[in-house]
Amino acid sequence: MNKLVVENLHLQYGDNPILKGVSMTLRPGEVVALLGASGSGKTTLLRSIAGLEQPSQGRVAIGDTVLYDSTAGIDMPVEKRNFGLVFQSYALWPHRCVFDNVAYGLKLRSTAAADLESRVTQALQNLGLGALAKRFPHQLSGGQQQRVAIARALVYNPPVVLMDEPLSNLDAKLREEARAWLRELIVRLGLSAVVVTHDQTEAMAMADRILLLNTGRIEQEGSPEEMYNRPQSQFTAEFMGSNNHLPGTVREVTDGRALIEGEGWQAWGATRGALKAGDAATGVIRLERTGIADGPGANRVATELVTDMFLGDRRENLFKLGALRLRCYGTTPEGATQYWLEFPPDDFWVFPRAA
Amino acid sequence: MIARRFHPARSTVVLLTAVVIFAPLGLIFWQSFLNAPFFAPAKHGSFDAYRFIFADPDFWNAAWNSVVIAGGMVAIALPMGAALAFLLTRTDLPAQRWIEVLVLVPVFVSPMVLAFGYVVAMGPVGFYSLWAKAIVGTVPWNIYSLTSIAVIAGLTHVPHVYLYSSAALKSLGSDVEEAARVAGANPLRVALDVSLPMTFPALAYAAVLVFFLGFELFGLPLVLGDPEGHLVLATYLYKLTNKLGTPSYHLMAAVAVSIVAITFPLVLFQRWLLKSASKYISVKGKATRQKLLPLGGWKWVALAMVAAWLAFTIVVPISGVALRAFVEQWGEGINLMEVLTLANFRQVLDQSDEVRAIVNTLLIGVVGGGLAVACYTAIGLAGHRQTGGVSRFLDYIVLVPRAIPGLLAGLAFLWIFLFVPYLSELRNTIFSVWLAYTVVWLAYGMRLISSALLQIGPELEESARTAGAPPGRVLRDVTIPLIRFGLLASWLLVFMIFEREYSTGVYLLGQGTEVIGSMLVSLWGAGAIDQVAALSVINIALVAVGLAVALRFGVRLHE
Repeated sequence: MNKLVVENLHLQYGDNPILKGVSMTLRPGEVVALLGASGSGKTTLLRSIAGLEQPSQGRVAIGDTVLYDSTAGIDMPVEKRNFGLVFQSYALWPHRCVFDNVAYGLKLRSTAAADLESRVTQALQNLGLGALAKRFPHQLSGGQQQRVAIARALVYNPPVVLMDEPLSNLDAKLREEARAWLRELIVRLGLSAVVVTHDQTEAMAMADRILLLNTGRIEQEGSPEEMYNRPQSQFTAEFMGSNNHLPGTVREVTDGRALIEGEGWQAWGATRGALKAGDAATGVIRLERTGIADGPGANRVATELVTDMFLGDRRENLFKLGALRLRCYGTTPEGATQYWLEFPPDDFWVFPRAA
Repeated sequence: MIARRFHPARSTVVLLTAVVIFAPLGLIFWQSFLNAPFFAPAKHGSFDAYRFIFADPDFWNAAWNSVVIAGGMVAIALPMGAALAFLLTRTDLPAQRWIEVLVLVPVFVSPMVLAFGYVVAMGPVGFYSLWAKAIVGTVPWNIYSLTSIAVIAGLTHVPHVYLYSSAALKSLGSDVEEAARVAGANPLRVALDVSLPMTFPALAYAAVLVFFLGFELFGLPLVLGDPEGHLVLATYLYKLTNKLGTPSYHLMAAVAVSIVAITFPLVLFQRWLLKSASKYISVKGKATRQKLLPLGGWKWVALAMVAAWLAFTIVVPISGVALRAFVEQWGEGINLMEVLTLANFRQVLDQSDEVRAIVNTLLIGVVGGGLAVACYTAIGLAGHRQTGGVSRFLDYIVLVPRAIPGLLAGLAFLWIFLFVPYLSELRNTIFSVWLAYTVVWLAYGMRLISSALLQIGPELEESARTAGAPPGRVLRDVTIPLIRFGLLASWLLVFMIFEREYSTGVYLLGQGTEVIGSMLVSLWGAGAIDQVAALSVINIALVAVGLAVALRFGVRLHE
């Protein structure tokens, strides 16, 4: 396979712009997740690549094959693009059995009967569906339907597999297992895939690279570690994990660090974005990086415990700092009336805030 | 933006549809502004035709009668249909399953047959009239009065209201009603404060529909209005030829245009209502199983009222027709047992044109119905998953035939077949009738097809496209197989509608184009009561077969 390249893609419904110039690449053997809230344009981007939506401007190509190019007037029909697409609803054809659902793409490619049979059987076996070939979609569980949908998209060896929220129709518990299973499948078969999801954990688990979309633009892209640990904007920080927020004012900026001060607290953090003394800013820190300390010190704030919650694998505590509510994990020293929360300066991000 | 091209097959379908809809309509419109038949060598544009009919007191009389009857129909059918829908969807009324089927019978029985049934059952010397006279000494009713026509028309249109309001009640989530119950409203309050207002758009739609059908009324006023000379617009048009002694095309066209001028705005109004209705039910409640309202002792009262309505609209006319078909004659002092005979049916089978009518009716229902469904499907698929001007155009033009009563459409197609070169050879074949039927029922057929197409999620087709199937292949491998059962059901419904249809064939009636419906009109005009009765029974039997098959296979009898 060659590289899939999307350049400056624009799309609108009427006057309503959905994609405002999105560019991305997918290298062979790579999995990219399109992450975003509903309405961010992630599904529209996927469908535009597949040819199911009509962009107004931009370019989509695989290697030398141009799929869409607004300036050259090229718009290759969906069926010629040779993608595999797994739909959110799976879209299995109810009038065909599992075998015929999977075989359809090969039939369209005029595959010889013997070859077709063996390839479909192989695909079904790859996905653990060997015994279900003669069943109809309504006789399958949700998990099985999902596997049929994937088998159907893979059987004709498309250069790129597109998946639209492939796990969202499964139960929460099943979803975690399917996530690991899908990642294993992708690695085992060496697939190149674009996966749409609204769940950041899912994106991090399955993808080599994440594209975070925000109202039709790419907010940030990078490896799961980069996205989680080094967000460039508060939007990315919020989307990728659970955080405490401390609004305040910047007092001092030196050497990539900023001192931010709010009502009854102050702390040093890592600057994110352009900041200078006097700017309004927000201190953001992941819940799991917020530490509980047993006494005052640098980058620690004094708080009161409101309540604590037992969540099974850990304990979550809710603290009060004036009007602010702060959360963190871990056990609190018993019997104390005053607690100190510690914000390690590298993990405490200071983002500019619109005044 | 790169424009995706509109497939040539699609354009052909759209073009053909537009031609068969607008050619006859355009011809009528043009003719109405001429002073002589359009094929006459000496003619010029003028308003003579309109001047003539607008100066004719009979025209205004007919128009006024139409308004009275249509208004009366709404006044009768709307409350009864709404009440019936509430009883059948929300209460524990006994025998619901039977009633649900029987309610629809008047929709599928030809109004011509029903009207004839009322004459022989409740006319001055009808079966029931004479029995009533034997008991109370006089016939306590007169079915030939304008009021009677409005009452009968109203009662036979209750099913139309019932269909729309019961569909609305069924789609109304029970949660909104439960919320009212929890808030402290008793069942009656819930019905009046929640259910009724929320189904109001459907009721408004049904009211406009019934009013509009009132203007199309032909068979009932033709048969029942004749003895006392009550004309409505459609019968005025039909009698215009007799009145002047010569066929006066321009006058007929002017009346036709006047009728369309009333019905077309009503159709547009309906469409607007339908749109606002769907906006109204924006958040749909969960369709959980309804808890039925217990009626207690009242359920027998309700059942008796429903039974009385069914007896009047179904049992009385149909038993009248059936009895009349098996007697030689009927009148005062005749003993039923002595006049029983099969002679009427023998008489029908002896007449070659009536035998042809039966064969043609079967053909047009079975083969013609299938072909019509094929055409409707082609049009449905041409607009399927298409956005943009062409499909919006298609959406609107398929509504146009709704505004043209069958009688007018038949007239227009007669002219087309008479004077368009090459087509005139088909004039004396059943094809001409089939084409007219297919166009007249286009809007109905399109509703059946589009409700079948709506069931298919777009991703089922998109996944075939991404798997590598070109659009035509997607239709063949996914779309059509998925609507297969919907198409078969549509065929059955169109079969019944085509068996029942009568007014469209009236002007097209000729050697080779006989169908039972138009033969009934013609035989009635000639006073051949025996044969009308026998043909009516055959017609009812044909529809009953369709109905039985539909029930056997669980076909929903309304879209």
